Amino acid sequence: MPRRSIWKGSFVDAFLFRIKKNRESLMSRKIWSRRSSILPEFVDCSVLIYNGKTFVRCKITEGKVGHKFGEFAFTRRRRPYQTNRGKGRKGKK
Amino acid sequence: MATLSMVSVPIATSSLPLSARGRSSSVSFPVPKKGGIGHGGLRIECIRIGGVEIPNHKRVEYSLQYIHGIGRSRSRQILLDLNFDNKVTKDLSEEEVITLRKEVTKYMIEGDLKRFNRVAIERLKEIRCYRGIRHKLGLPVRGQRTKNNCRTLKGRRASVAKKKSPASQEE
Repeated sequence: MPRRSIWKGSFVDAFLFRIKKNRESLMSRKIWSRRSSILPEFVDCSVLIYNGKTFVRCKITEGKVGHKFGEFAFTRRRRPYQTNRGKGRKGKK
Repeated sequence: MATLSMVSVPIATSSLPLSARGRSSSVSFPVPKKGGIGHGGLRIECIRIGGVEIPNHKRVEYSLQYIHGIGRSRSRQILLDLNFDNKVTKDLSEEEVITLRKEVTKYMIEGDLKRFNRVAIERLKEIRCYRGIRHKLGLPVRGQRTKNNCRTLKGRRASVAKKKSPASQEE
């Protein structure tokens, strides 16, 4: 897991740093800070991560500690390009 | 780590190259036969270290790099730890080979390394982060462009038939 300097510790935004002790408010909490690391305090919470447009629900498990929040809410929609090309060709025929 | 219990047995020299498993062994030159009875002296063709046959005709520093998981830095570190000379591999004595085997097993090599990497990638897929999804879709993980490159992952390029020009269609 690439991270910044070890002596600095994991980066967490101030908002998440404040609310990480309060577990009730973590449930279904909307999180805009995609750059923050997932701390062990967030385990077993289900959060809503902002992907720039909507909120993606994500359950925090043990394996996700250390990753960033933004890794679990994709900001790009994957378009099936091949199918579009096929349809276009059918239309022409 | 699994330690090899068997000692390397001298193999009789044959004019045909040995059938190497996974890696190419050294090609042996035919020894001139004496009077047509049997072969000349016995000679060790390959040395098995870490479950891998490493070539006999190269120097130790470069022979060790045939092991998956040992590159230039690690092979130099091994020779430095053991205070070995960088001589040709066939000139190693039996005790030196055994010491070298013991030293190599301290590192994660070959099957253990491949297994470790597979487990790490499986973990990424399991937690469904961005890198795991890229691994699952068979796309590059480290932010490379995908329009014109990454043929190793995508495979052979699918050719699209060219559209005929209207002039040729009229013919």
